Amino acid sequence: MNTISVKNIQKTFADNQALKDVSFEIPKGEIFGFLGPSGSGKTTLLKILTAQLDPTSGSASVLDKPAKMMQKTEQKKRFGILTDNSGLYERLTIEENLDMFRRLYELPKYSIEKVLDFVNLNADRKKRISVLSKGMRQRVTLACAIIHEPEMLFLDEPTSALDPVNTAHIHKGLRYLNEKGTTIFLTTHDMTEAETLCERVAILHKGEIRAIGAPAELKKTHRDGTMTVELTSGEKERLSMDGDSAAQVANWMSQGQIERIYTNELSLGDIFIKLTGSELV
Amino acid sequence: MNVSVKRIQAILIKDYKEFSRNYAISVMIVFPLLFALLYRSEGSDQAVMYAFVMNFSLAMLTSFVQACLIAEEKERNTLRSLMMTPASMLDVLIGKSSLVFIISAAVLAISTYLFGFDTSNILVLIAGLALSILLYTAIGTICGLYSKSLIEASLAVFPVLIIFTMGPFALVFEEDYPIVKVLNYLPSSQLSELMVALETGAATSELTSPLVIIAIWTVALTVISFVLYKKRLKDY
Repeated sequence: MNTISVKNIQKTFADNQALKDVSFEIPKGEIFGFLGPSGSGKTTLLKILTAQLDPTSGSASVLDKPAKMMQKTEQKKRFGILTDNSGLYERLTIEENLDMFRRLYELPKYSIEKVLDFVNLNADRKKRISVLSKGMRQRVTLACAIIHEPEMLFLDEPTSALDPVNTAHIHKGLRYLNEKGTTIFLTTHDMTEAETLCERVAILHKGEIRAIGAPAELKKTHRDGTMTVELTSGEKERLSMDGDSAAQVANWMSQGQIERIYTNELSLGDIFIKLTGSELV
Repeated sequence: MNVSVKRIQAILIKDYKEFSRNYAISVMIVFPLLFALLYRSEGSDQAVMYAFVMNFSLAMLTSFVQACLIAEEKERNTLRSLMMTPASMLDVLIGKSSLVFIISAAVLAISTYLFGFDTSNILVLIAGLALSILLYTAIGTICGLYSKSLIEASLAVFPVLIIFTMGPFALVFEEDYPIVKVLNYLPSSQLSELMVALETGAATSELTSPLVIIAIWTVALTVISFVLYKKRLKDY
């Protein structure tokens, strides 16, 4: 069963075609990553999926309903969203911000406690937003998006302002949410984040999906069929994976000359550059 | 239409906390009280002066504060965040108007007491002022939704302040300039007319016309604010 189904979505702004015939499906319970540089169409798609924008053509459904229904109260209770535009009330404390969201979702008081633990901010709950660092603000915004433990979570660069410790904490929390059944749609520039968190990723470039699949599958598809052998002498030999190379490796091995052997897989970033000819920034 | 008292209450509580900590905006409650004390009079023009104080207070407090509250939400992107929660259009608009309505009602009531306005029909006075608060709240909402920033919103309210507050006074020129007669239909002119009628103890039929015109303005501007809010739900 799919939580998100996108069919032939196109979006044009004046002369600029932001999305070109984009189609994909996200099954329930998956963490799906959307990779692409700024201006590739990631946010446009996210806005279409959350009914903040209408597509020029094509259709999309989210949580079994057409995407345009995402503005209805019943649908809005089922998803959470964090974007770089998500705002917080500066004069209120972390706890007061969350209290408003708790009331809007009609949740019990202990949901604040729970979500504060989740984002590691329980000790700072009485601090006003205006005095928080960028990373702490990002964590509060995330807390607001997940306080109701949504079925579907849209995250736009969720850890972009966080240090490694907090990033790891958030990743752990997102995996926990996902294990409880939350489907996660994530846009990111961070290749490590995509590889460690996402079951599947799509590479978007100039409004088009250039590749889609599990990170391991993509690497397999785009590997160059060679391996590198590091010898004890310090030399590195790049060999094709055929019979001749096997004989050569067996020979080095019998003489105890091999330090390390590894296949030459591309990273997701390398695959992106290969597919699009541009850096992922 | 989906309306939830709990969600309206959530927005009201949040707005109250923000308002009480934002001294640049909360200081506005002082001006109507100050004007009521400054302009209190017992002469023949008591009703006209009282109407001026009320009209000024409605523009300066109700419209200005409402415009600033909405514009600040837009400027800091919290309005879009609010729109993405289960709060419906009515929840947000009622919730965001409730604080300004309550504060305006309380401040206008105290101003009326301080001014010492004598009325023959307190219920009609309350109806006229309540309708006017709703009307000026809608104006504030429209100014706030049109503005991109807090500064823009505070500037957008000034034409309202000038036209609505000074409009009734410009009517002295209506014999020389017939076009000025159109200002008779301003809600502020109608409120002024209502105050004069209330002071002189006019018949109920004379009180109905100003109330109906104010009510028409209120409905029209409330509808416009709803339409504008709905447009802000989406990007284009």
